Amino acid sequence: MSIFLSTEIVVFLLIEVILLLLMSIAQGNIILILRRWDFESSTALQYHLEKKNYLVNTILYFTVAVKIILFLFFILSLNSLAGVVPGAMCSAGVVGANVYGNLVLFLKLMLIFGLGLWFLINTLDLTAPNFPHLKPKYWLFSFLFILLCSEFALEIIYFSNIPLKVPVFCCSVVFQSPKLPFGYTQEFLVVVYYLLLVSILVLNTLKQKIATLLCNFLFFFVGYYAITYFFGLYIYEMPNHKCPYCMLQKEYYYIGYFIWGFLFLGIFFGMMPYLIERITGANTNALLKYSSFFLVLSATICTFYFVHYYLLTGVLL
Amino acid sequence: MKQMILRDIHKIYNASKPNAFHALKAINIEIETGEIVILKGVSGSGKSTLLSLMGGLSKPSSGDMIVEEENIAKLPDILSSRYRHEKIGFIFQSFNLLNGLSVEQNVQAPLMLSHLSHTHIDEKVMRALDIANIAHKKRQRVSDLSGGEKQRCAIARALVMNPPIILADEPTANLDTHNSRLFIEMLDTFKALGKTVVVATHDVLFEEAKAIDRYIHMKDGEIIP
Repeated sequence: MSIFLSTEIVVFLLIEVILLLLMSIAQGNIILILRRWDFESSTALQYHLEKKNYLVNTILYFTVAVKIILFLFFILSLNSLAGVVPGAMCSAGVVGANVYGNLVLFLKLMLIFGLGLWFLINTLDLTAPNFPHLKPKYWLFSFLFILLCSEFALEIIYFSNIPLKVPVFCCSVVFQSPKLPFGYTQEFLVVVYYLLLVSILVLNTLKQKIATLLCNFLFFFVGYYAITYFFGLYIYEMPNHKCPYCMLQKEYYYIGYFIWGFLFLGIFFGMMPYLIERITGANTNALLKYSSFFLVLSATICTFYFVHYYLLTGVLL
Repeated sequence: MKQMILRDIHKIYNASKPNAFHALKAINIEIETGEIVILKGVSGSGKSTLLSLMGGLSKPSSGDMIVEEENIAKLPDILSSRYRHEKIGFIFQSFNLLNGLSVEQNVQAPLMLSHLSHTHIDEKVMRALDIANIAHKKRQRVSDLSGGEKQRCAIARALVMNPPIILADEPTANLDTHNSRLFIEMLDTFKALGKTVVVATHDVLFEEAKAIDRYIHMKDGEIIP
């Protein structure tokens, strides 16, 4: 049996192909717009380009929105593939089935951030009277388009190389003792997690965009390790279950979607104001309050599991 | 003061296709604030197309459309909608009212987007209904009105946002002579209110109106001198 016969993968790849086709049409028009755009002109060509601009925006609004939803479907698909891939008990086994899995996942996450950035710049551009951010937003999309094509190629390679006869390693690996970077301990990690969180909240309040960008970048990794290697233990209520994916499953009430979702949303909104200002010069400090809101939500859920377990058992894992 | 400046406007439908149609050719018009202008011409002469461009309902194929120092031809869609909402009152040949609603509700409709208090909305609606002389029918459903009353309701709706510009496309085409004359008399009211009015029509009754400042004759998408 081929992995490509799995319903989820067929649906996923079919949607990816359609989106890529639509984005290719948009990209063709973007090249034309980037070459000939002159907003001050009132010629037939400029009006034609302005119409094309609406076509491109409509296509991209749709495809970017679907792409973000498709990311969730991808995660769901990985979970369901665990039943097909021998040895896999959750997405950890499927992602780790070959060397491309983590790369695909990381690239997808980066693309979601990139497309989100494009989405925000596009919104700014369409609400201004003279399309002031048109060129930067299309240069950004052209760069993302190359990544999107690479992502699709990588997905094909990844799915083609998932072994269906040889058992993969799954939580047998993550169940082992934690491999934290630089030999850090769990205690140190959780202290850094809360310190960084508080720093981000303070910096967001003070609207220190560069500092909050850097702290959020750090928090991306610290958050990942803290949730996987510390809070995860209290979610699974097992001292050696260090998996970032199992919490996405029904057994854990899909809580992982909220924890990871809020974490990434918080980091995203924290990083955007500085990047948007660099690209467009626009002030989007208002996004920082969304950053604080989502990060606090994610941390509250994590802390709840930890406190709840400790209050019930009086034991630290 | 110039309210509207149209410079070298062209409108081509299905451009670069075999069935391309050049609806407007090199239109140049300047309209003063408070001026009442009649666009005259037979069907297909380009009056309605020109009116839809002035109203920001569509965009030209080339040329500039400056309204209150802003080139509306180049506005993004979201700002075009705002322009239509705040600056333009439309009166259509077929009224385009919501038949299931009362006169008052129809006139209220444009204000629903404006975050005003109920008291303020009611004041504005009553003022518009009074100007259009339809206040006595405010509770009545639009479907129960006569043609003339529907047109007065449409006028009240066009005025309720207090727009500086009123555009009317064949406003008397569905009215009898009596009601047509009532509409033409309404032009005096528009003038008194300081509105800039552009009416596209081929109704000869408009020639009786004293409020009209200028006639622009159109033929085959061009202005005839």
